[in-house]
Amino acid sequence: MTDKQSMRVSPNWLVFSLLGASAVLLLVDFVLAFFVAPLQPGAQVYMNGQPVSALINGVAISNQLLFSQKIFYFHVPIAIGSFLIFTFAMVYSVLFLLRRDKVYDTRARIGMEVTLVLVLLTLITGDLWTRHDWGAWWVWEPRLTTYFILFLLVVSYFVLRGAVEDEERKATYAAVFGIVAWVDVPISFVITRLVPSGVHPVVLRSGGIEFIQLLPFLLGLVGMVCFSWVLYQLRLREEFARERVEVLKTELEG
Amino acid sequence: MDPVLQEIYKTVFSGAPYVLAAYIAILVGLFAYVTFMLLRVTKLEKQVDLLQSTIERRSAKS
Repeated sequence: MTDKQSMRVSPNWLVFSLLGASAVLLLVDFVLAFFVAPLQPGAQVYMNGQPVSALINGVAISNQLLFSQKIFYFHVPIAIGSFLIFTFAMVYSVLFLLRRDKVYDTRARIGMEVTLVLVLLTLITGDLWTRHDWGAWWVWEPRLTTYFILFLLVVSYFVLRGAVEDEERKATYAAVFGIVAWVDVPISFVITRLVPSGVHPVVLRSGGIEFIQLLPFLLGLVGMVCFSWVLYQLRLREEFARERVEVLKTELEG
Repeated sequence: MDPVLQEIYKTVFSGAPYVLAAYIAILVGLFAYVTFMLLRVTKLEKQVDLLQSTIERRSAKS
C-alpha cells in the first residue's frame, strides 16, 4: 500500500535553497574557524619546571595552542547531523510498522544510508583529532565506544536487509532493527556527561567557549544539517524516480 | 585575520596551508558528490517524463 502523501518529496526550490544555504554556511564556518576564531589554549608550558610564556604579536601566550581543535568546527556538526538523520530513519521505521506503506521503508533505508555516510565522516575526522591530541588512533573510552557500536549497528542494518529475500519481511525486520539500533543515539550523545572519561571534551560542562568560537560552530552545525537533509532528499528522489522508471517500463512492455 | 593566528601560521605552523587545502578538498568533494547526484536525479526524472508521455501517446492512439 502506498499513499500519495508518503511519496511526497521536497520541492526543487527548497532543495536548491538549502543546498545554497549549506554551501554559504559551511564556507563562512571554514573562514571563521581558521582565520578568526583564536586557537584553543591547551596545557601550561613549562621549561625546567618553571612556567614560561612567549610573546606572539604582542600577546603573551603561556599555554599550548591546539591547532587540532579546529576540527571541532566540522567534526561535531557532522556527528550531530548523523544523530538527526538516524532519528528521521527511526521515525520512518515506526511509521512503516504502523501503516505498512513501502514508501516509509524506502525513506528509512535512505535515511540509514545518509547516516552511514555521516557516521563514516565523523569517525574519520574524530580519528584524526584523536591521533593528534591523544597520541593514539583509537581509545576505548565511552563516547568512542558507543559511537563505534552505532557504526556497527548501521552496517548491520544493511547486512540484515541483504540477508532477507522476502520484501515484506525484509522491511519489517529492518524497521524493528532500526528502532532498536536508534537507542544507541541518545546513549552515545549523553555518555560523556554520564560517564566522564576525562579525555573526551564536553565543551559546555568545561566552561563553554568564546562567542567567536561558538559562532562558526553554530553556522557549521546549521550548514551540515541542511547539507544532510539535501543529501537525503536527493537520494530519496533518485530512488522514487528509479522505481517509477521500472513501473513505467513494465507498463510500456505489457 | 586574527593577528596572533597570522603570526602562528607564518612562523610556528608552516604546514597550515596544507591542512586548509585538505579541508577545502573535502568540502569541494562533498559538494561535487551532491552535484553529481543532482545530475543523476534530473536525468532519471527526464526519463520518467519521457516514458509517461510515450505511454499517454500510445493509449491515445489505441
